[in-house]
Amino acid sequence: MSKPVLQIENLNKTYMLGKREVPALKGLNLTVNAGEFVAIMGPSGSGKTTLLNIIGAIDKPTSGQVLLDGIDVGKMPENQLYKIRRDKMGFVFQTFNLLPYLNARENVELPMEGRGKSKSEQKKRASELLALVGLSGREGHRPQRLSAGEQQRVAIARALANNPAFILADEPTGNLDSQNKQEIIKLLANLNLTQGTTIIMVTHDSQAANHTERMLLLKDGKIIKEKEGLHLAKKNNKCPHCGAAIQVNDETCPTCKKSIYSSDEVFSS
Amino acid sequence: MGIINRAIRNISRRKIRALLVIIALGFSMAIMVSIPAGVLANQQTASTASTNLSNVISQTSASINQTATQIDCSLAPSFSGFGFRDSSGSGTSGGSGFTPGQFSGGASGNSGGFQPGQFGGGTIGGQFGGGAFNGGQSNPMNESLYTDINSTISGVAAVEPILQASEGQNVTQNLSFNGYTRSITRLDVQYTIEGIPLTSMVNSYPILPTNITAGNNLQAGATGEVVLSENNSAYFNAGVGNTVTILGQTFTVVGIYSPSSVSQTQTLFMNLSDAQTITNNTGYITSLAVFAQNSDVVSQVATTLSTMHPELTVTTDQTRLTQLQTLQSTYNTELATAQSANNQTYSTAVEEIAIVVVATSLIVLFVMLYTVKERTKEIGTLKAIGFSNSTVMSQFMLEGILLSIIAGVVGIAIGLIAAPTISSLLLPSVGLGGRAVAGAVVVSGTSRIGGLSVATLNPELILALFGASVLLGTLGSLYPAWRAAKIRPAEAMKYE
Repeated sequence: MSKPVLQIENLNKTYMLGKREVPALKGLNLTVNAGEFVAIMGPSGSGKTTLLNIIGAIDKPTSGQVLLDGIDVGKMPENQLYKIRRDKMGFVFQTFNLLPYLNARENVELPMEGRGKSKSEQKKRASELLALVGLSGREGHRPQRLSAGEQQRVAIARALANNPAFILADEPTGNLDSQNKQEIIKLLANLNLTQGTTIIMVTHDSQAANHTERMLLLKDGKIIKEKEGLHLAKKNNKCPHCGAAIQVNDETCPTCKKSIYSSDEVFSS
Repeated sequence: MGIINRAIRNISRRKIRALLVIIALGFSMAIMVSIPAGVLANQQTASTASTNLSNVISQTSASINQTATQIDCSLAPSFSGFGFRDSSGSGTSGGSGFTPGQFSGGASGNSGGFQPGQFGGGTIGGQFGGGAFNGGQSNPMNESLYTDINSTISGVAAVEPILQASEGQNVTQNLSFNGYTRSITRLDVQYTIEGIPLTSMVNSYPILPTNITAGNNLQAGATGEVVLSENNSAYFNAGVGNTVTILGQTFTVVGIYSPSSVSQTQTLFMNLSDAQTITNNTGYITSLAVFAQNSDVVSQVATTLSTMHPELTVTTDQTRLTQLQTLQSTYNTELATAQSANNQTYSTAVEEIAIVVVATSLIVLFVMLYTVKERTKEIGTLKAIGFSNSTVMSQFMLEGILLSIIAGVVGIAIGLIAAPTISSLLLPSVGLGGRAVAGAVVVSGTSRIGGLSVATLNPELILALFGASVLLGTLGSLYPAWRAAKIRPAEAMKYE
């Protein structure tokens, strides 16, 4: 569980606003190990999105090293980066970003294109993934016939399509009501527990963040605070509230009777 | 779920957009189908007209060279015509014994369009000259005196000696003239013999009758044969293959002709030597037809002839020459008009096709650019989940190309139906000498539509146009697709 999938060392990113240099990230260091469920938090303008884009290999660092699963993406040529995005990571977006003219299964198949899998293999894998996120029987539905929560489940299934080194979730609960928010957090936490999927989640939502195992607070382009989340206890089969032993599928702690997914604000602003 | 399926779904998802592109491209295709067809029809029209005009011009030219280069030479007619001696006793006075020019009717013998000899020479010695009344019969000329014309005068192409003599009956009439009444006797012509040299060159110069209506013309070297005018035929009551007796000699009728001028109505044609023999004029002729090499040297040859042979009356056909030349210049103008109309059609067509190509490409370009902009977020998503730039580019190219394939089919269908209408709207009509051809593909009131679809809308053309349509779609989506490929996913994600 200690093999790092993401190693960031002294990462700097400076944007040019006209002739003015605007630093977004200033000497950021971060290591994420395989199987971790990490939340990156921070106020607007703290560099969350920049960090996410650099981790997602859709933006390039100004200086510093970014190792994704051992590959220095900062040195990768532009026309090779798509393979990193396709094979090493799965994106989950705030607005789901499903293709409206494709049904759930076809959306999940998208990242598998160009990987030499047969159509039937793609279909089978997509159906399995949709079952994993609890959408069996809804494969043929187009996004407009799915609820927001269901759409995000499809997006998560799509992110898992190529068995990536980690899932990169950008405000995955930002567009969801509290019911669906909890469902998606539960789904991500369960994937982390049962599939061992590494998840890096950028979020504003401290409640959601609290259900990860490690919370990072970003401010002015640096990580200024790090805190354990409730998920760590859960990972160790302990109730995050009272520390008593729990089962993986328990919704509430059999001992203290508190809901495992309820939480308080973690970082008060 | 392949790239093609996605392209098809995107096209069907954006029906208005697809319709816009299909209408625009389809209309362009229709124009591109119609214009070449119209150009071809116009070209056919102009080319037919040009061919016809060229033929007319060359015929006119030949006429100028043949007819207008003709110079008639004869001795001034004497009062006493040049009759011939025959045994029938029907008034052959005069004769060759008179001194040429003694009582000359003067040049007026040629006036009024009568050819010398049409009316036989006057009969009663000297009372009335050839002149105004009788037109005068040319005096016989000694053929041997003029045999050197061909070699001594430059610009002469040929010299054809001709013997003309008329046969008729003396008719006595009372005529009033200057207060005097005289009884005169004149020859009422029944037929005129024209003897022409039937050499191997006989067909090169217009000395034979031209309008044969039955049988054949006289051939080189023919003797004992005649070609009769229609009047002669009636007079002799003889047709092709019959024989006629002229001045005691039997001739076979080989052909009948329709006279091309009043002067020919009673003229029959035979070999010069036959004519000389039967009229007792061996070695004598009545006129020389001198042909200049071309119409430019006619007057020069005529002047030289007059100088060398002052006794001859030398006549050129200046009026006819002028007429023919005017006609030729008119035809030349028409030909130039037809050709310039054709060229104009061509350049208009090229311009219009160029405009259509540019406009269509621009329409596809803007529609696809809009599509790319509209789908920025989708493009960002596709890139974020691992689509390569080239896949994204292909996706948009394919959409543009598929659209243009559909549009191409629609456009060609429209074009096949509406080509004549469209091309007549867009192309100038080919006007020929004021006879404007209505519409581009309608020639002289005869619709070319049938011919058009068969002759010009061939499978190759349609295939080529289909290719053009796909090319336009490709051109129009190239830049938008490239733009799509260049979209940076980080920014595309922010796009709403």
